[in-house]
Amino acid sequence: MRKLLIFFVLLLLGLLVYNYINKDHRNIATEQTVLVVSSANINEEFSKNSVDSKKRYIDKTIEVFGLISEINSYDITLDNKVFCLFSLEIKDSLKENIKVKVKGRVIGYDDLLEQVKLDQCTLIRE
Amino acid sequence: MKTLLYILTIFISLNIFSQTKFITKNGVVNFEASVPSFEEVKATNNAVTAIINSENGEFAALVLVKGFRFKNALMEEHFNENYAESDKYPKATFKGKIKEFNLKNLETTSKFHINGELYFHGQTKQLNDVIIKISMEKDIISMSGNFEVLASDFDIKIPKIVSSKIAENIEIMFDFQLNKK
Repeated sequence: MRKLLIFFVLLLLGLLVYNYINKDHRNIATEQTVLVVSSANINEEFSKNSVDSKKRYIDKTIEVFGLISEINSYDITLDNKVFCLFSLEIKDSLKENIKVKVKGRVIGYDDLLEQVKLDQCTLIRE
Repeated sequence: MKTLLYILTIFISLNIFSQTKFITKNGVVNFEASVPSFEEVKATNNAVTAIINSENGEFAALVLVKGFRFKNALMEEHFNENYAESDKYPKATFKGKIKEFNLKNLETTSKFHINGELYFHGQTKQLNDVIIKISMEKDIISMSGNFEVLASDFDIKIPKIVSSKIAENIEIMFDFQLNKK
């Protein structure tokens, strides 16, 4: 009886360790959005006060809205201020100057181009 | 008077031409520090910004460290928290100059050398004569190459307990498609 108990405890521990090592990636698309912001506002916050905005935004799941200023098969740029990298190819028929809302994870501020960058983005339909 | 205007126009347009920059926002940088027969230690960043000034060969790239994606989520977490400390050092940059770079040279050569400074994890390292393959087609410049750095060059300590699973020599590969701006 005791042996059986030890066996099950070990099995459980083994499973926990296995799950910890092989845990899943965050799923940004289904994660709760922390805040919704316009492309102009988030860009301004980063360019004015990068220390505070880092704490506020980096690695967080947010929604950004704005007009498309550039579109490629895997990325969209909003108002030349926010760059959004998608994990999957963008199949929607989007054009420049269309207003969209994008959900993604903030990875930081690119001071070469003065743009905020997001990855693992998905399009929010309304 | 008219001739003067013509000359002026030519000079102005020449000046604009000399400011030609090529940019990418979705460049790719990979790194690998795998040890054979252990789980691969490899990550890819698909959101790298790179700019080249085609007039003088000056080149700059910026990588947001949080954008490195690993196959294994736990490895990604450890990379960000314990090794790269991406909260403290969110950016990695490279600034340098391609030797003998000229748009005209691209027609005959594809192999160039680049010197520059690589900044990562608060440390800067000078890289010399990194081989870089460059080609151009329809206003798009393609650049690719790879080089090796040491984890210790960037003050990254690999704990003894995992030192057999993570290589000290880190191979870095890059691939950029830069569009004319």
